[in-house]
Amino acid sequence: MIDCDVHHNFSSLGDLTPWLDPTWRRYIEEGGYEGFTLPSYPYVHPSGFFMGDSIPSSGARPGSDFEQMKRQLLDTWEIEYAVLNGEDILNISSIPNRQLGRALAHAYNRWTLEEWTPRDPRLRASIVVNVEDPDLAAEEIRVLAGESGVVQVLVPTGAQRGYGDPFYRPLFRAAAECGLPVAMHAGADGVGHNPPPTGAGYPHFYIEYHTLIFSSAMAHLVSLISHGVFDELPELRFVLLETGLAWLPGVLWRLDANWKALRMEVPWIKRPPSETVRRQVRFTTQPLEQPAHVGKLRQLLDVVDGMDEMMLFATDYPHWDVDVPTAIERKLPDGWAPKVLSENARDLYGLPVMSTAAAGRT
Amino acid sequence: MSDIDSQTVCVLNSADLPVGGRCTVQAFGDEVALFNVVGEVFAIANPCPHAGGPLCYGTVDGAPLPSDAYEYVWGRENRILTCPWHGWQFDLETGEALFDPLVTVATYRVMIRAGEICLSER
Repeated sequence: MIDCDVHHNFSSLGDLTPWLDPTWRRYIEEGGYEGFTLPSYPYVHPSGFFMGDSIPSSGARPGSDFEQMKRQLLDTWEIEYAVLNGEDILNISSIPNRQLGRALAHAYNRWTLEEWTPRDPRLRASIVVNVEDPDLAAEEIRVLAGESGVVQVLVPTGAQRGYGDPFYRPLFRAAAECGLPVAMHAGADGVGHNPPPTGAGYPHFYIEYHTLIFSSAMAHLVSLISHGVFDELPELRFVLLETGLAWLPGVLWRLDANWKALRMEVPWIKRPPSETVRRQVRFTTQPLEQPAHVGKLRQLLDVVDGMDEMMLFATDYPHWDVDVPTAIERKLPDGWAPKVLSENARDLYGLPVMSTAAAGRT
Repeated sequence: MSDIDSQTVCVLNSADLPVGGRCTVQAFGDEVALFNVVGEVFAIANPCPHAGGPLCYGTVDGAPLPSDAYEYVWGRENRILTCPWHGWQFDLETGEALFDPLVTVATYRVMIRAGEICLSER
């Protein structure tokens, strides 16, 4: 199985200081009240964001202890590869200071590539960039694309504009040139200088926020298609992480229908949007919707042509809404499991089949 | 409506369809929309294949042709018919939808014979 959404984390920003120059080291250690902290969510899960048993015995932050992750996720579920997507760092694009954002993103990337991926051949990494500074983001992508273990570029759903906006194009061009998918993870909506998490503003409750976790993801997907980004960059692959799936048929139906009626506004869109999505967009499974009758979910997934090749398995370890592999497998239409659990991600990221021995499992 | 031969039917006195005019007639078992576009007559099945909108009420002008992002290249002036209901656009000459040439509405060959507009199936 290839787990496309695993959250490792630093125990504090201080872990990144070896890769920061003295100016920023001092800034994060001594700035503000008790040092700089990344902006965080205006919502909390009432019993915590993490699986209760993912908290290391040391009391460190979940995801910060590799040995625990190895035991609890990689070994227990026989994960062939795990893609590390970080945690707090997703909010890096939510701070107005672009120079700081760039420095922290780079330090985080170096920390991941030096302190995490070399520890286990099963680990792969997303690199983060400050999306609100697309030229520097493109530079960071070009610098790191060739590094061992790098499989994609991570961006948050929380952003100041739809990702189809030409403002962001340097980032997408760089990723496409370097052969790296861009993965957009739910998060950073309403954080820092980002717009509110929903079109109806800031919900009161976490239950509202989390239920609507896909709302800006839908907006970004429609934006990317409408601006012709996938046509301009046919090599680009775009992954939606943790944004759910059940909404997809409706959005694609609407978009295809609207394109037939409104193509005069976007004459550069030359094929049905659903075909573009099938060719260039992938979706992680977690959090897979949970209808009372699982057969209805299977029917819904089957509605989208090619869906069996668009879904990528993900646990979201160590978050509270983790999807364990057995729970996913039984929700899939017959015959989909090998593709969804492994082969689609293997194709996307070009991952070789790893033998048990090579994985170093004991 | 008078028959010239088995494949051709004459449907209207051409004087009844002045430049800029449009109307519907019955031919070949269908309702057919006629347009006099700058002196040239076009005939196209009246119901839009999408939802049955009456194409005879549609706008005839040009359209932005397939282009690169953010470019608008106007073309096919006086050859694009836009359905008045949902905006599907068709080429008056071929009947092909602009979004997909495999989606078509029937068009008819038009001849003027002895002052009459005559149609035959393509």
